[in-house]
Amino acid sequence: MKNDPGLLDVLACPSCKGRLQYTSDEKLFCDACRLVFDVKDGVPVLLVEEAEPAD
Amino acid sequence: MKALVTGAAGFVGSSLSDALLQAGHEVTGVDCFVDYYARALKEDNLKKARQSSSYNFVEASLVDAELSGLLEGVDWVFHQAAQAGVRASWGADFRIYSDNNVYATQRLLEACLAASVSKLVYASSSSVYGDTRDLPMTESSATRPVSPYGVTKLAGEHLVSLYSVNYGLPTVVLRYFTVYGPRQRPDMAFNRFIRSTLEGGEITLYGDGEQSRDFTFVDDIVAANMAAAAAPVTGELLNIGGGSRITVNEVLALIGDITGREPQVKRHDKQKGDVVHTVADTSRALELIGYKPAVGLREGLSRERDWLQSLDAGLIAAMGAV
Repeated sequence: MKNDPGLLDVLACPSCKGRLQYTSDEKLFCDACRLVFDVKDGVPVLLVEEAEPAD
Repeated sequence: MKALVTGAAGFVGSSLSDALLQAGHEVTGVDCFVDYYARALKEDNLKKARQSSSYNFVEASLVDAELSGLLEGVDWVFHQAAQAGVRASWGADFRIYSDNNVYATQRLLEACLAASVSKLVYASSSSVYGDTRDLPMTESSATRPVSPYGVTKLAGEHLVSLYSVNYGLPTVVLRYFTVYGPRQRPDMAFNRFIRSTLEGGEITLYGDGEQSRDFTFVDDIVAANMAAAAAPVTGELLNIGGGSRITVNEVLALIGDITGREPQVKRHDKQKGDVVHTVADTSRALELIGYKPAVGLREGLSRERDWLQSLDAGLIAAMGAV
């Protein structure tokens, strides 16, 4: 599986549909919603109920 | 070609993804792992595809995901995602069915309009016909679903047709007739029957076993999807059946044959929403996309048995009671 950077670039927040930032600890962050989405074994998990609130 | 497969961790979605990758296509899979059956089984379905460098996978729900990014550069969309299960669609859980089968389909269609998709293939079901004496079922037969599940799949079909007619979105609807084979859902009859017989357990059978079905091997369903995507047809609705009508009692005898054990059957009353007979007229699919079922029931059941026997004890346990 590749889950290429191109794909990560085009993924959006399921809550506000805004852009996500790929963080240095390899997660996806929505600045507007202050939510952190996990990337498990290379798989972005874009489920609001599984997202963590940002600190 | 680049394909998006929804429901990519499921029975048909994962099998289709593997075949697309095998044929040299690039695939993005999306799945939200609805909890209808164990996640471990779906993760196992994904194993082969995840070894491919042409495969991407995103865990997301079509109900709220922003789909435009997932559709970037995509030629073919195979919409296999759905909340399955005829019996569970009655009662309080109907919202799950309307969200995942109707609303999710509408969102996907809207997103496809804004993308440059050359074909959307929608996985529908013979359950849209309901109980009918009009056999074999042709695409022009009356649709009178007898379960809420069938109603939501039919609503999805209508949405697909509307987007095709009103906006020119290239679509094909495939009505699957009882799909079986490796990776079949653990609640589906053949999976339960084979497991139970191998374990020497008892098979719970609803109805007298004289209900008949047109059973379709998963590889034939996969081939139909790929042919529907590639063929220069749009706005079509096609039956995809296995080519033979067989009673459940005959299936049980065949399972006895291929397992070398006598199935032990406990009979229960027919359930609400169960259709008595299904048989597909697939002549239109033959004419338009060259569809011809290739795998017969004995071979197909043997391949499902081989798959079940290849799974470790943990995965078999995750399938739950037979």
